[in-house]
Amino acid sequence: MTSQPSDEDVLGRDADWRRLDLRMLLVHPVNEVVRFLPALVAVFFVGSHSGGDVWWHLVAVVVPVALGLLRFFTTRFRITPAQIELSRGLVSRNVLTARLDRVRTVELTSSPIHRFLGLAKVQIGTGSAEKSGDAKFALDSLGVAEARSLRHALLHRATAAEAGDEAPVDPVADGDERLLTFDPSWIRFAPLTTGGLLIVIGALAAGNQLVGPAIERLSDHVDLGEPRHLGLTIMAAVLAFVVVISVLSIVGYVLTNWGFTLARDAAGRSVHIRKGLLTTRETSLELERVRGVEIHEPLGLRLAHGARLAAIVTGLSKKEAGSTALVPAAPQRVVARTAVELLHEDEPLTIALTRHGERAVRRRFSRALGVGAVIASAWIVTVLVAAWATLWCVLGAVPVLVAIPLAADRARRLGHGLTERFLVVRAHCFHGRRVVLERDGIIGWNLTQTWFQRRAGLVTMTATTAAGKQGYSVMDVPETQAIALADAATPGLLTAFLTAQPQTSRR
Amino acid sequence: MDDARVAPRLRVPANRVSPRARVGWTAVAVGQAAVVLIVLGLLVGVWNVFDLPGWGWLAVVIAALAYAVTMPSVRYAVHRWEVTADAVFTQSGWLTQERRVAPLARVQTVDFEQGALARALRLATVTVTTASAAGPVRIEGLDRYDAENLVDDLTARANAHGGDAT
Repeated sequence: MTSQPSDEDVLGRDADWRRLDLRMLLVHPVNEVVRFLPALVAVFFVGSHSGGDVWWHLVAVVVPVALGLLRFFTTRFRITPAQIELSRGLVSRNVLTARLDRVRTVELTSSPIHRFLGLAKVQIGTGSAEKSGDAKFALDSLGVAEARSLRHALLHRATAAEAGDEAPVDPVADGDERLLTFDPSWIRFAPLTTGGLLIVIGALAAGNQLVGPAIERLSDHVDLGEPRHLGLTIMAAVLAFVVVISVLSIVGYVLTNWGFTLARDAAGRSVHIRKGLLTTRETSLELERVRGVEIHEPLGLRLAHGARLAAIVTGLSKKEAGSTALVPAAPQRVVARTAVELLHEDEPLTIALTRHGERAVRRRFSRALGVGAVIASAWIVTVLVAAWATLWCVLGAVPVLVAIPLAADRARRLGHGLTERFLVVRAHCFHGRRVVLERDGIIGWNLTQTWFQRRAGLVTMTATTAAGKQGYSVMDVPETQAIALADAATPGLLTAFLTAQPQTSRR
Repeated sequence: MDDARVAPRLRVPANRVSPRARVGWTAVAVGQAAVVLIVLGLLVGVWNVFDLPGWGWLAVVIAALAYAVTMPSVRYAVHRWEVTADAVFTQSGWLTQERRVAPLARVQTVDFEQGALARALRLATVTVTTASAAGPVRIEGLDRYDAENLVDDLTARANAHGGDAT
């Protein structure tokens, strides 16, 4: 109000301070009332008992509304050609300033109240390392059209001056290229995502552990000589559990992903993601910050020919990193098509991956069987200690038998490849991934070897990067292959440290 | 493998850390062994959680001694570092070993740190961080004087590369 810089005239119209949308007045009192609800309840109780103190009723109603009004009148923001400023607070004035070229993401969130009122909350991600949450830019709330024009201005600052007038009304504006439209039939993949699957497996495992005691317990009530009773009871329990988990994961999937839309703006500078059934969320990512993609193919999804796609983005804080989903659980071909669209080439997806060789395969089996054997022995010890029928020991074979196909799958999936622009890594079974990382984004290598890996001549190499998980590992590569891969992926970096001589002084 | 002779390998980094680093690692190992023995003593002797026969004690003590003797010397053989005009290269660890390479053009900060023990031994640790949270390169157990020179050197070389390091 009084603290405007003197160069305001030079900055022109866009330098004018702007306020939140007036309609936010309706959102905030509701939010404040909800926050004050416990106090309100107390007031009414105390009030009715003590003969009705009108003053307290008044305070309880007026204070939240006044807080909302205060927020409206004290929150202002403006965009100058170089930065965005957010001014908050009446007594302790707090001005947040961020450089426009540091804006990484812009996210529009609308709860059902916001949507009813035609509002959206704007969150601006600057990828700052600050830990306190209030250092984050959040404008709660603007009109949807204004929010979108603001997003447009922030992400494409070159055209920021005109953006105020021609606000794109549809999240997928004219000229935007729609890469993905939600198909309700994808809901079938919801129960197969890792989360859902893990719960189901956990349930089965727990069921397995409970079989023994359950049978003892059941034998009191049901005739165990009749195997049908036992089988039916167990099957019913498992079925009920699976149904519950499926329903929960479907509800979760629909709430977050309904109407999922992915679009790229005409100039190819950013992608817009829109999703959500009740609370809608619109995220925009600058493609310049996208260093690659991750295709998630956890076991369950893979068996149903499904996958997910996520972006590897630089400069996002941990909290913001969740906003990088590009395709929710969907058919593999949809995911592949979208990935190809975004990468502008299909080589990273079609390239024949280099296998990691026999020793890596052996390591998969020895590790899986090792874990299986530990579980099996634990089970057998349990059976013997609890003095159940020795026959139950047979169940101990299950983890070992399960370990074999899992190890085979893990071994089969291990692979890496290098294209002109990307490093491609495929690994894992339950947690299946194909990582496509831009080679330009690799800023170093960590080569780790445990004692066992050194004996097998294998290396786990991690390409470090400023994007996504910060490091992407290629597991159990034969050492010579690893060095060659690192050298090829980042030409020049290792040159000074290479030698043709066999190594002697290590190990 | 047959191609081991033809295929390029990583050589070891040129420089060892200070020999006094062994003293530091030994002190840490003795401390760790002492903690294990004290906890074990409390569990067996005071709280009677379980029983440990004489040979069990002997085994634990021998294992602790072996650890305190071998770990520092293995580490001293493994821990090495090198800085060229373009990159920093380190090797560290003992059972699990790690080699890290980071280009100086991507260096963001160069940290110099000294704990109480390190100060007593005139040692220091230099950490080079890049824009990746997964990629800090640590050189532990350097002579204090060498470490200071290294920091100056690294800072100068990183500055020479410029750029925004992401």
